[in-house]
Amino acid sequence: MEPTLLKARGLEGSRTLASYLSRGGYEGLRRALALGPQEVTKSVIDSELRGRGGAGFPTGRKWTFVPKDHPGPRYLVCNADESEPGTFKDREIIEHDPHLVIEGIAIASFAIGAHTAYIYIRGEFVRWANLLEQALGEARREKILGADVLGSGYSLDIWVHRGAGAYICGEETSLLESLEGKRGFPRLKPPFPAVVGAFGKPTVVNNVETLACLPSILTRGPAWFASIGRPRNTGPKLFSVSGHVVRPGVYELPLGVTFREIIFEHCGGIRAGRKLKAFFPGGSSAPVLTAAEVDTKADFDACAEAGTMLGSGGVIVLDETVDMVEAAANLAHFYAHESCGQCTPCREGSDWLVDILHRILAGHGRAEDPDTILRICRFASQGMTICPLGDAFSLPISSIVSKFRDEFERRIAAATPAPPRKHPVLPWAGPRPGFGR
Amino acid sequence: MSTAPIHAANPEELREVRFDAAMESQIAELLTHYPIPRAALLPVLWLCQKRYGWIAPGVMEAVAARLGLSPAYVQGVVTFYTMFHTTPPARFVLQVCTTLSCAVCGAGELLAHLRKRLGIGPGERTPDGTFQIVGVQCLGACGSAPVVQVNDDYYENLDPAKLDALLDELAAAKE
Amino acid sequence: MPKLTIDGREVEVAQGTNLIEAARLAGIAIPYFCYHPYLSVVGQCRICLVEIEGQPRLAIACATPAADGMVVRSQTSSRVREAREAVMEFLLANHPLDCPVCDQAGECLLQDHSMDEQGGQFSTHMVETRRTFPGLERRLLGPHVVQNQNRCIHCSRCIRFTQEISETSQLTYVSRGNHAYIDTFDGRPFDDPFSACAADVCPVGALTLREFRFRKRAWKLRSTPSICPGCSIGCNLWIDHHERIVYRFTPRENPKINATWLCDYGRFLAESLNAHGPAPTFRDEDGSSSSPPLEETVRALALELKAARTLRVVASANLSNEELFLAREIFAGYLHGELVTPVWPGEPRRMKNGHGVWLASSDAHPNANGARRLGLDIVDESGLARFLYGAADLTVLLDPLAHPYLAGEEALQLLRVGHTLVFSQRQHAVCEFARWTMGVASLACNEGTFTSGADQVQRFQAAFAPPRGALPLWQWFTLLARELGLARLAVATPRDVFQLMVSQERSFAGLAWEELGGFDTDSYREHQHVG
Repeated sequence: MEPTLLKARGLEGSRTLASYLSRGGYEGLRRALALGPQEVTKSVIDSELRGRGGAGFPTGRKWTFVPKDHPGPRYLVCNADESEPGTFKDREIIEHDPHLVIEGIAIASFAIGAHTAYIYIRGEFVRWANLLEQALGEARREKILGADVLGSGYSLDIWVHRGAGAYICGEETSLLESLEGKRGFPRLKPPFPAVVGAFGKPTVVNNVETLACLPSILTRGPAWFASIGRPRNTGPKLFSVSGHVVRPGVYELPLGVTFREIIFEHCGGIRAGRKLKAFFPGGSSAPVLTAAEVDTKADFDACAEAGTMLGSGGVIVLDETVDMVEAAANLAHFYAHESCGQCTPCREGSDWLVDILHRILAGHGRAEDPDTILRICRFASQGMTICPLGDAFSLPISSIVSKFRDEFERRIAAATPAPPRKHPVLPWAGPRPGFGR
Repeated sequence: MSTAPIHAANPEELREVRFDAAMESQIAELLTHYPIPRAALLPVLWLCQKRYGWIAPGVMEAVAARLGLSPAYVQGVVTFYTMFHTTPPARFVLQVCTTLSCAVCGAGELLAHLRKRLGIGPGERTPDGTFQIVGVQCLGACGSAPVVQVNDDYYENLDPAKLDALLDELAAAKE
Repeated sequence: MPKLTIDGREVEVAQGTNLIEAARLAGIAIPYFCYHPYLSVVGQCRICLVEIEGQPRLAIACATPAADGMVVRSQTSSRVREAREAVMEFLLANHPLDCPVCDQAGECLLQDHSMDEQGGQFSTHMVETRRTFPGLERRLLGPHVVQNQNRCIHCSRCIRFTQEISETSQLTYVSRGNHAYIDTFDGRPFDDPFSACAADVCPVGALTLREFRFRKRAWKLRSTPSICPGCSIGCNLWIDHHERIVYRFTPRENPKINATWLCDYGRFLAESLNAHGPAPTFRDEDGSSSSPPLEETVRALALELKAARTLRVVASANLSNEELFLAREIFAGYLHGELVTPVWPGEPRRMKNGHGVWLASSDAHPNANGARRLGLDIVDESGLARFLYGAADLTVLLDPLAHPYLAGEEALQLLRVGHTLVFSQRQHAVCEFARWTMGVASLACNEGTFTSGADQVQRFQAAFAPPRGALPLWQWFTLLARELGLARLAVATPRDVFQLMVSQERSFAGLAWEELGGFDTDSYREHQHVG
């Protein structure tokens, strides 16, 4: 397939505005401005584009939730927090084609009537924040942004807002809290951001890749986009493949390709001639799939049918040498570290899982541990928490326990009882006056 | 192009912080991006970290006063995020990614190698203040695991040999 | 007005009411830890989960507005019970089981819920070592608040209190996740003027009050509704007492005045209620003193008062409406004395009511407005000085704490000129030379009404009987009235005085004693908010 999102990869000087314009850049925005917001939204609905950040919500539908008659400002926020383990696709787009993102933002902003847009980019991405700043500078100088976008009379400012190290800020409501200068605590929903978002105003939060799809939807038409993949699962998708494959990296493939093709054809199979053991199809928050499930199609609905999710399209491939208890402990640690601590099941549950899994690793597992883990996962997900972080650790970890329970039980069978627990005691400060001898 | 070292200001200097004209004008520019001053908190903290190397209590107070917030509020925000240094950092902060993809591709070896070469583990710093190791969570570069972020820069596809070369280069360029 | 069904009970509530409050109206208690009716809703603790028919997932009652036709299940849903048990298990995973040595025990929401809803049948799968916060286990956060972070359940009520109510934003979470803890900026003292409210709203023993810790088990305390004597705002409070000792004040809900808050100044006046006046003392010209029995004292007082050719009386804005009324009737009306009520501005105090409006004090007394209503002559410091400068045979001080001027050298010199009778709640410089000192019991033993700064007449009740020798002032007055032959005023209770006042005073007409309470509040709700 001819790349759309990674068209610029490998081109000399691809980041510059000149290069972008030479490839037909900002043509989609020009067309959008001519069509008007309603037609743009209709095109996006017709293209059946679904959000690429993880939840897979239809993008055009999301835009229509913005109240039409709302007085005062509204905002578009580009989610470039890219913090889901196993995901590194947005970075790739920004690295090679920052103007593609900017054009997408401009199209979406125009469609929802926003005159200010923010790019919330994770704090670690200093280089990519700078690349965006440079591209924005070019676009402003060339009057592509500002008071009169491409001479249309529409005004738009885009600002880069850097996060500072918090996975949770990839969740759209905590992203908005962080944008507003607060701790990144997810908000209660409803109200949804499209109604009450940034600064209390209607706000649409879209992922980088989602926005990067917009220019081609406008230039090549929604029908072209919808012809890729199958109904409700349309368009090109970036797959970030990492772990034990020969050629890890970002691949642009049509939705509906199988994971076998991704892993064994595009990525050259498993390293060192080893066998595939398991893989996470959509970032570490998606339930794990085993080697036997490698023929699952990589699209939203097929993944859901397989009991997992396409998520961000971050495929983490694990070979036969990986100890799944260690993998579970590694992920549990990640989520406990990243839990904001606001609501009880996630805060306590994630930390508790770390304790149990590390105890099993230390050789002190107990027979009831697998069930305790499943119980914790059950009650930290499915609406028990404010935001999906509870599900994000519960689903993959419970899937590991369910699908690789034998590995847990082997370790537990060989376990020794844990040594008596040590409680911290205050150091002896020596005899105190007035206490006898 | 080598990574620039962090120059952390002395705690004494940051006891009471007054922004100079250059800082003030940058803050004023940042405030124009947002409808409310509080939203500029993260950008202003980044500005301060760039300027002073870390966010001392005195810096939090100055930021709070500038943006009309309480110092405790600013402290709450600073400590929520992992990237703001609340103690003076070493010149080079080696942020070793330890999440799954990096872990299965050799992050553990990198940490073991760092311990052997520098004699320190995660959370520690060398006595000369050149290096500091931090075990961090997913850096979003899993396809080129294992990854180490040094100050602001990513170093990808590392192995002990490449890490050695990097450390030599950084140690040599430290002044 | 949405009409909904909760656990099979139908209830109609105002638009916008959340399910916790709607259930309360239906007589059903939905448990909660982080919700507080006067703070923002955050939905953090997750214990208030309920099942709503037609919704696949459980919903949190605090953040769900009641809707017409909604069918809600709380205790009657096994899914809800199971989910709440899981939430409790999560909360208790790291909560120390130190209830026997925790001062919050008995008024701890976590403990209550564990006992009420789970019948004390708690079990856990947790076998790990609990998370602790070394150094934050017994730490003085400010002048009044002691922190034990190990017990914190991260409900953020205290943080929200300082951000939304007292507006100092002095408290914050530091760090994040399960290792976040409550702190002030850079270790500065938590000296918010409302700091003790942070301990009130704390549902567990993470924040407790230095002044109250370990002085009395919560379940031993009896609560008597009263009014704060600290200023003119008239905050509603409970006097918490046991065996005739006052241990503390806790806020009593009143959305119009103090919501569920008290300022630190007013709250810590509680101790002063343990001071009562001395037994009646007669001091002769030669300096010798004696303590005659009550009847003799009253008889002697009546004789002194009738014998005085010129009588002046200093009343006080600290007295109840009933006491001021009796004082006016007896001293000004019957004995033709001259009567003034000094009012002292004092330190400015403020309080945020339940609608988010700041109320400010006009003076340092609970009842200056009562004196105004009764048409008494209000004087400031210079007015009081002028009043005392005029000569008189006999001066009666109804309350030496009526104005700080009365303890000054100038006032004492002026008072030494004639004879002085003093009704006093505690030792005072005037008592050292007064001809008669009559012991007055403290507010804890008094009953009556105050008129607040916003002109509301509010009732307070007596927590316990006065100690031997001291009487509430109204009782001194009724005894005196009987002795003077004023049968009309020789009534038996403050309620009788009030009825008399209502029938006689236009400014009090139409008021009914029984309706002045504000005592009909739901004590469970109360308890959940003030810990």
